[in-house]
Amino acid sequence: QTKWDLPAAYPANNFHTENLEQFAQDVDKATNGKLKIQVHANASLFKAPEIKRAVQGGQAQIGEILLVNFQNEWPIFGADGIPFLADSYDESMKLWRAQKPMLEKKLADQGLMVLYAVAWPPQGIYTKRTLNSAADMKGLKWRAYSPATARIAELVGAQPVTVQQAELSQAMATGVIDSYMSSGATGYDTKTYEYIKNWYDTQAWLPKNAVIVNKAAFAALDKPTQDALLKAGAQAEARGWAMSRKANTETLEKLKANGMQILQPSAQLKTDMKKVGDQMLKEWLEKAGAEGQQLVDSYRKM
Amino acid sequence: MRRWLDLLYDASAWLAALAMIGVLVSVLASIVSRQLGFNVPGTDAYAGYAMAAAGFLALAHTLKRNEHIRVTLILGRLQGAKRHALEMWALTGGLLLAALFAFYSVRLAWVSHAINDVSTGNDATPLWIPQLTMALGTIVLFIAFVDEWVLELRGRRQVVDSEEALHNE
Amino acid sequence: MNDVLVTTLLIVTLFLLLGSGIWIGLTLAGVAWVGMQLFSSRPAGDAMAVTVWGAASSWTLTALPLFIWMGEILFRTKLSESMFRGLAPWVSRLPGRLLHTNVIGCTIFAAVSGSSAATCATIGKMTLPELAKRGYPDDITVGSLAGAGTLGLLIPPSIIMIVYGVTADVSIAHLFVAGILPGIVLAGLFSLYLGVWAMLNKDRVPPPDQVLSFAQKLGESRHLIPVVLLIGAVLGSIYAGVATATEAAAVGVVGALVLSGVQRSLNWVTFRESLLGATRLYCMIALILAGAQFLTLSMGYIGLPRHLAEFVRSLGLTPFMLMIALSIFYIILGCFLDGISMVVLTMGVILPTVQAAGFDLVWFGIFIVIVVEMAQITPPVGFNLFVLQGMTGREITWIARVTMPFFFLMCGMVLLLWFVPQLATWLPSHM
Ligand code: NA
Ligand code: NA
Repeated sequence: QTKWDLPAAYPANNFHTENLEQFAQDVDKATNGKLKIQVHANASLFKAPEIKRAVQGGQAQIGEILLVNFQNEWPIFGADGIPFLADSYDESMKLWRAQKPMLEKKLADQGLMVLYAVAWPPQGIYTKRTLNSAADMKGLKWRAYSPATARIAELVGAQPVTVQQAELSQAMATGVIDSYMSSGATGYDTKTYEYIKNWYDTQAWLPKNAVIVNKAAFAALDKPTQDALLKAGAQAEARGWAMSRKANTETLEKLKANGMQILQPSAQLKTDMKKVGDQMLKEWLEKAGAEGQQLVDSYRKM
Repeated sequence: MRRWLDLLYDASAWLAALAMIGVLVSVLASIVSRQLGFNVPGTDAYAGYAMAAAGFLALAHTLKRNEHIRVTLILGRLQGAKRHALEMWALTGGLLLAALFAFYSVRLAWVSHAINDVSTGNDATPLWIPQLTMALGTIVLFIAFVDEWVLELRGRRQVVDSEEALHNE
Repeated sequence: MNDVLVTTLLIVTLFLLLGSGIWIGLTLAGVAWVGMQLFSSRPAGDAMAVTVWGAASSWTLTALPLFIWMGEILFRTKLSESMFRGLAPWVSRLPGRLLHTNVIGCTIFAAVSGSSAATCATIGKMTLPELAKRGYPDDITVGSLAGAGTLGLLIPPSIIMIVYGVTADVSIAHLFVAGILPGIVLAGLFSLYLGVWAMLNKDRVPPPDQVLSFAQKLGESRHLIPVVLLIGAVLGSIYAGVATATEAAAVGVVGALVLSGVQRSLNWVTFRESLLGATRLYCMIALILAGAQFLTLSMGYIGLPRHLAEFVRSLGLTPFMLMIALSIFYIILGCFLDGISMVVLTMGVILPTVQAAGFDLVWFGIFIVIVVEMAQITPPVGFNLFVLQGMTGREITWIARVTMPFFFLMCGMVLLLWFVPQLATWLPSHM
């Protein structure tokens, strides 16, 4: 019997974590208990930025990471964080299919393999102001929690403010920030509706969580167990995307019930944001070079 | 030798003190920049690195000043050879653990460099750079433990009364 | 491997290393090391380095060294003395007199700081020397400081509430508001105990400085102005949206420097001493935090807290018995782990049980915060005990003993919260 540890950064009631638990059970069943995977949710074993390193170093055999987190290391990790490149579940799935072979190659060099990936719900704009165009975003106190969100702020003339997730609620209550970009799910989890009443459903991008495996640990399994793991991974991917869509619909309903206005962006705002997206894609391509161009090309062909 | 060692601990402590100022400056930069409407990316990460440096680089100095706490309930009741024996045991234990700590801290920075581990935040710092403070601080701590161990073995170790303690009594 | 055997072996190792005088932070790392090498198949060293680095460089902790520095600066000003002059006329009629300054000071500072260790260190730096100078017995002053310091967690802002709120999917704003009444009631219980203690030990309480008329009292209160200004600046920076709760610590350091400049106690020597003193005190705590973090990781791998939580769940208890069982469970865990680790390691298993039993999750959050407060003062691993050992140089067993009454007061507070749940739920329901 083999025991694997699976560090994950999100709470037990998050749909990603629920999916992981189901995945672990599937593996247990399919291997008749030969491979037991213990999910350590809520960053109880390793914190989000440490998980990739922990799997790489063999401190955990398998782990869940947020891909865009690692874009400083390699721009392709950040492809699903480029605004308006892939702005729906279907597009996001296409992007994942284009991204996957490149990720597999890169991760293989690092002694890792990717088992599956699941998108987060699409990102929209939480703001106290009503927005008709990007000009209305000038001077917003905008939470910048990643290089991409900081760059968006600069491009629209908002003030990027660094606020950690842990202090998000308080920062909204005291007016340290009055806007940020995230999914409906995050807004519900952080009770954003207590402070901010507008959410523009821009579907800017759908960041993905990926489950990665240490290759040496995988190689140490016998063939039937390996197959069972891969099969359970494929099932978890299909299930995860469905769960994500469902979570999106449900949380938007719950946001509405709590007084959040779910707004469609105006044509002008859409055009303006598209411009921001194009600019950021251009900058990203400069960083990502030929690899990046190849990714965008193969994605657009799909 | 004695002079060089003390200089090493003091220099390391001063770096730690500078890092403490670094924590303050980073946090202030984040407050002030927000008020004045400009952006300094990564202030939160820099505050964290500075805090780590302050903690690790001061380890040896704090040990030499006898301000790392421990339970001296049994030690305090022993005299002479018995006390010496128990001190040797505690110092040997501390020495070994400090050695592990130093070895793996160096390895941490080394591996970070080898696999090109980069901070995931807005600062995008190659992590081996700030992790050098942890490697350096734990090595100096290890040296300080060797120093104490040898002094105790020769019966020359003087345990200073913690200055902090005197403030409050 | 049998859990009971693993637990026994680890606890024996812990007491052996601690008892033989090995430094506390290193002891925790040593126990974690032994646990991981023997009872998990993972290599310990690299995991230790990654997790220690992550904790030591984590932004959420930056308020701690800054508040410690603020305390070191204030200690070298006339601020603590003037605070006592201002408070003395008002508390001198109460039984226990200036003993209440610890409770009052910690309650007020708790509204600024989210951590118990920072509250304990900052207030202790000011009150302990002044109380000792006036002849108050140190057992009761140290004990009440260790106890009242934990209010830093219950009175908002509070780091542990944020961790719990994110984990349990509960509004952090509601949790913050829910903590206010229990915090004040608990502070009241501490003061009540100090009063009763003083009546029973009349000979041990020094006489009042002097007896004053009301006008004179008001006049003496002017000495409170600097401390009120400082706390006002820190709190104000949070509520005006200038700084986050963590950043407010930097406002505190600048405020303390300005105050000591105005009072002409700021010079190169005091600046250097405060800086190096703060660096050392923080370093002492940081080494223990590093060891504790490694121990948490080791426990996560071995799964002991999880198994114990599963055991409690399997008992199928009535709500009241469940609450008692959880209290005992967390008190035991709290002897060995710090509060945040306790929450992240057990919540996944405990929350469903608690929800099934029909507990209100905001109420349960306050319950968790109080048991985590207890963990700060129970030996052998209790951070307030460590801070006070560093500051007073007294043996940890002595500090734990003099703090014991305050531990029991918190147990009483848990029962009170059970029978009067509105203490926690009334305010948030009216938001
Ligand atoms: Na507090
Ligand atoms: Na404890």
